[in-house]
Amino acid sequence: MPQTEPHARSTAKPNAADEPAPALILEGLTKVFQVGRSGRSVTAVNNVTLSIGRGEVLGLVGESGSGKSTIARLIAHLHEPTSGAMCLAGKPVPRQLRGRALTRFRKDVQMIFQDPFASLNPLHTIGYTLARPLEIHGFARKGNVQAQVSTLLDRVGLSPGASYAAKRPHELSGGQRQRVVIARALAARPELILADEPTSALDVSIRLDIMNLLLDLRDQEGLSMLFITHDLAGARYMSDRIAVMYAGYLVEIGPAERVIGQPQMPYTQLLKRAAPKPEGNLNAGGLEAPGEIPDLANLPPGCPFEPRCPHARAVCRAGLPRMYDVGAGHQARCILHDPELAAQPLLHPALQPHATL
Amino acid sequence: MKGLLTILRRSPRAAFGVGLLAALLLLALLAPLLTPYSPTSQAFGTWLKPGGEHLLGTTALGQDIWSQLVYGARLTLLIGFTAGLVATAIGTALGLSAAYFGGRTDEAINVLINVFLVLPGLPLLIIASAFLRGGGVWSIILVIALTGWAWGARVLRSQALALRNRDFVQAAIVSGERPARIIFAEMLPNLAGLIAAGFFSTALYAVLSEAALAFLGMGDVSQVTWGTMMYWAQARGALLQGAWWWVAAPGLCIALLGTAFALVNFGIDEVTNPRVIHEARATRVLRRNRAAPQAEPALEPPQPLLAIRHLSAGYVTPQGPVRAVRDVTLSVAPGEFLGLAGESGCGKSTLAFAATRLLDAPGVVFDGEARLAGQDLLALNPAELRRVRWKDYSLVFQASMNILNPVLRIREQVYDAMQAHGVQDRGRLEARARELFALVGIREDYLNAYPHQLSGGMKQRVVIAIALALEPKLVVMDEPTTALDVVVQRQILQEIDAVRKRLGISIVFITHDLSLLVEMSDRIAIMYAGEVVEEAPAHELYAQPKHPYTRRLMGAFPPLEGPRERREGIPGRPPSLAQDIPYCPFFERCPNHLPGTCDVFKPARVEVTSGHSVACFLHSPAVKEEAYAAD
Repeated sequence: MPQTEPHARSTAKPNAADEPAPALILEGLTKVFQVGRSGRSVTAVNNVTLSIGRGEVLGLVGESGSGKSTIARLIAHLHEPTSGAMCLAGKPVPRQLRGRALTRFRKDVQMIFQDPFASLNPLHTIGYTLARPLEIHGFARKGNVQAQVSTLLDRVGLSPGASYAAKRPHELSGGQRQRVVIARALAARPELILADEPTSALDVSIRLDIMNLLLDLRDQEGLSMLFITHDLAGARYMSDRIAVMYAGYLVEIGPAERVIGQPQMPYTQLLKRAAPKPEGNLNAGGLEAPGEIPDLANLPPGCPFEPRCPHARAVCRAGLPRMYDVGAGHQARCILHDPELAAQPLLHPALQPHATL
Repeated sequence: MKGLLTILRRSPRAAFGVGLLAALLLLALLAPLLTPYSPTSQAFGTWLKPGGEHLLGTTALGQDIWSQLVYGARLTLLIGFTAGLVATAIGTALGLSAAYFGGRTDEAINVLINVFLVLPGLPLLIIASAFLRGGGVWSIILVIALTGWAWGARVLRSQALALRNRDFVQAAIVSGERPARIIFAEMLPNLAGLIAAGFFSTALYAVLSEAALAFLGMGDVSQVTWGTMMYWAQARGALLQGAWWWVAAPGLCIALLGTAFALVNFGIDEVTNPRVIHEARATRVLRRNRAAPQAEPALEPPQPLLAIRHLSAGYVTPQGPVRAVRDVTLSVAPGEFLGLAGESGCGKSTLAFAATRLLDAPGVVFDGEARLAGQDLLALNPAELRRVRWKDYSLVFQASMNILNPVLRIREQVYDAMQAHGVQDRGRLEARARELFALVGIREDYLNAYPHQLSGGMKQRVVIAIALALEPKLVVMDEPTTALDVVVQRQILQEIDAVRKRLGISIVFITHDLSLLVEMSDRIAIMYAGEVVEEAPAHELYAQPKHPYTRRLMGAFPPLEGPRERREGIPGRPPSLAQDIPYCPFFERCPNHLPGTCDVFKPARVEVTSGHSVACFLHSPAVKEEAYAAD
């Protein structure tokens, strides 16, 4: 098989003056859900600031409950943010969008869902499903809808497109359905694609095909993409940069190679050690982070990872650490990068540190 | 129309109901052809007996009862269908709006629905019809529809709420669809069965309400309906006169109509919610009795704990048998961790379930044997199987945290398996439960908790503790950590590994995650299209995979380290397991297949190096004899 280098492309530099504005900028995005009649507040996304460059794939990694899917739903305006600002291609997006403005916005931001068995209406033909975004966003002219649908299907590798248009979802395999879902997202000719775990419901043998398709589309059409996953290796394969979420907070962000290669936040290090490694030994080093993700309605006062962190100092409990610059374009939310704070004694000496930063 | 035909074909009950309904409709439509008399004409003798001129006799006022019955069908059916339609329309509109718009709209509609549900039906009907007295048939229809919509609206609202959160509705919203289109084009068609069922229920309610109102004299008693017929029969003391048929004929017709509606509803339910008739019994074994079990001398000096030999299993479907497991031979040594990997549909779960007699109908074992410590599990009768199961071997499934009963404390559920196998002493049960929890890393006070108080990872640990309760020699684990996050998965895998080493149990671990398996297992078997195509010690399989499928499967996982380069998946799909596969099952997807060999003969699994066997002509020319192709 040809071993080409898929990641040989310039990493977007969002702040360079001569480049166009980033595809997406999030400033302090926060979402608080009221749960039940008691009105318990659950902070699913907590003051997240990040950007996605034009033609860039940003991997968003975290465990369930980390808020990574909620971010995608906030960007797609399936939920309304509690606070924070958002800019799409340099233009601010109002927090509340209605009517035509919302439809125009939706043309530019499309979403790919996790489970292709659930995200296609079983009663509609593939042709109908793909024709709708063309009609809604005004790309359909009389007589050419079918041709456009076939072209879309051809582009995602379902050829001949015309023969797939007449089918219904149950006639397709999981991989083929996910291709249809991707074609639907492409139909509106969006600027930004939000891919929410697009491969985790698929069989191992077709996951790579879907990831390769997304990478090809990015290369050919210059799409920007938010790629959400819980799989570190998949995120590394897909992304230019990777952002790591924990309990609603952004805890580390940087170039993919660096975040996975030399993680600078103890939680990212834990994730990396927990990932299956065929070359490794199951019990090598062990995992020195007991417990589970904190209750989002009752977060620890300081760093969300402090109760489990073998490196925690008293200052971690006092307040949320800021993001520290730890390398080129690489930031981590950990006080160990402040030599003065790192000199404090350990808070949980019982949790034997396995690796030092 | 097509939907209706499927329902009729698949459900005899529905077909009978529709037939009955059609007969009653014809009765109403063809009334003038079926009787020469007007239903209101009083030109005949009174209290005539059935027969002769008057098929069902005459009333106290000298009306022909048969004419009243067929003409009465018109108004009765009109009221039933129209009131049913109006009520269903109101219920559908309100239920769907509540679910789609949510928030305040939902709360307001929900309050309205609950108010109407709480108000007692018949008294409300009586009061409302008293108000609308003299309004004729249409006021009755209106009153019935207004009192009958709420139940359907409530059911629809809850179903639509679930539908509203389905991905395809979210996807339609993201693609820019407007609310009306989402409600009518995306959600409504998926609720068609429910709406139809709601319609037939309310139509039945309407017919019964009309009859009840008329019987009480609340309706317009000058009209001829089956209800008013009964009213007049009662008022004129038909039963005292011995004219029981005057009461029986309309009563029977109402009962028939009700039966028809109910049968159609049953049919819709049968087709839209197919329920597999569950037979709670051990796996069916279809193998022929061998004349004498070929006495296989102990060739392998360490006797395997589990020995699966030439096992073929699968499913019996209306289209014919599906052989999901094809002539598999595999063994597990005491204390060994065997990994079983492959794509979904490769037969790995079927193999584990068949070998442990847990394959539910329509699953069957076609042939072969599975011996646990020398005892053939497939030959045991249900009573023997109950004794062996859980004591000698136990199982942990993928979503097995869902097997915990939500209303029982964890303690009782841990006790349960031990009690079923004869441990009754509370002290011993409690001591063992605490011991088990320590073993899988859960605090003892969780014994007092209910399942909902535990996270997914904790629940899975409880299930593993229960599986270990009777110190089985073998635990079969079918994707036990797939639903969990990586960190929790790693923690649990480490507990499993520690427990195995301490207790010396064997584990068969099934997963699609090959990189995980390489890390965990002593030995790995790779399954493809129902066959084991390669088997080797884990680290040898990782270092030197021989079968092209294993190599591609290994390459399908992007690495965490090393160069970031483009990798290929495995193009194509496995062959259908409903057919015979007398050639290498992988040849169509294999980049190295030998034309004229791989697509004509089936490779035998041959040991190429010590402990490493592979079924591939690239490594051995041995051809496999097809044992089962003949039958």
